[in-house]
Amino acid sequence: MLIRLLSAALAAGFLAAVLVTGLELALTSPLIIAAERYETQATPGSAAAVAPMPDRLPIVLAHAGHDHDSKAAPEWQPGAGLPRMLFTGLATLVGGIGYALLLGAVMLATGREPSPERGLAFAVAGFLAVALAPALGLPPELPGSEAAPLVARQVWWLMTAAATAMGIYLIAIRRVPITILGGLVLIVAPHLAGAPEVAATPSELPAGLAAQFAARSLAIAFVFWAVIGLAFGRAWQTFGPKTAAGARG
Amino acid sequence: MTTQTLTQTGTRANEGFVAIAVAAMLGLGLVFLAGFSPASALHNAAHDFRHTQNFPCH
Repeated sequence: MLIRLLSAALAAGFLAAVLVTGLELALTSPLIIAAERYETQATPGSAAAVAPMPDRLPIVLAHAGHDHDSKAAPEWQPGAGLPRMLFTGLATLVGGIGYALLLGAVMLATGREPSPERGLAFAVAGFLAVALAPALGLPPELPGSEAAPLVARQVWWLMTAAATAMGIYLIAIRRVPITILGGLVLIVAPHLAGAPEVAATPSELPAGLAAQFAARSLAIAFVFWAVIGLAFGRAWQTFGPKTAAGARG
Repeated sequence: MTTQTLTQTGTRANEGFVAIAVAAMLGLGLVFLAGFSPASALHNAAHDFRHTQNFPCH
């Protein structure tokens, strides 16, 4: 069963990563690169502006204002162009397999035999929990528009994702009045508590670019989850023992 | 026959628990690696993925 679960998650994660890496490179990476250009232009006097525009993209340089000590030892970053694309694809693959494993683990732990339809239903729940709910408080951001400290944002993100996932479980799977009420409270609570402050400082970055990025980011996250769910269900059936396919499906 | 079925069911339930636990831990580890790991090299490698998937970044 472990082998079957790992195989199905690998297959689903790989398929989703291939599709979503293409979408990322076509739709969001150009916006990120454009935003980094605005960011480096917008900070005259900072190390990033003084340094000549390097042939590699300023992932770290752009944020050099925060940590002046890092000038001595430049940190590793993928080179511009193909290396950066490859690492984006690699990260998408790692994330996709991770999400597929979690999806499979949750489906089996709740006693649902994975199928493409059920996989899709759980994937929608996963999208709601880790993409849509955190995005209500912390909208997808381009580089350079971050306000609150990283740790505060990560903690709120994790709390919101966990509370929303638990809330959906209580509502959709437990499904009795008291758990539905508790689930609603869990889903709403992080937003009542309030997310860390969103950037309100003026920026050279055009608002249209940021809005486009937020919409594309959520759309890509939905495709990512949907493909993972459908493919995991399909792969689970494919990797199952042939004799039990009818009996256990 | 009955004994065998029971044993199989027991083993399967136990195996299922282990499989779920391993998959969940591995999944959390991979998502952490791609989305949250504070190591600078990992952050830079996964930078565009993190922004697109709305993981808090920087």
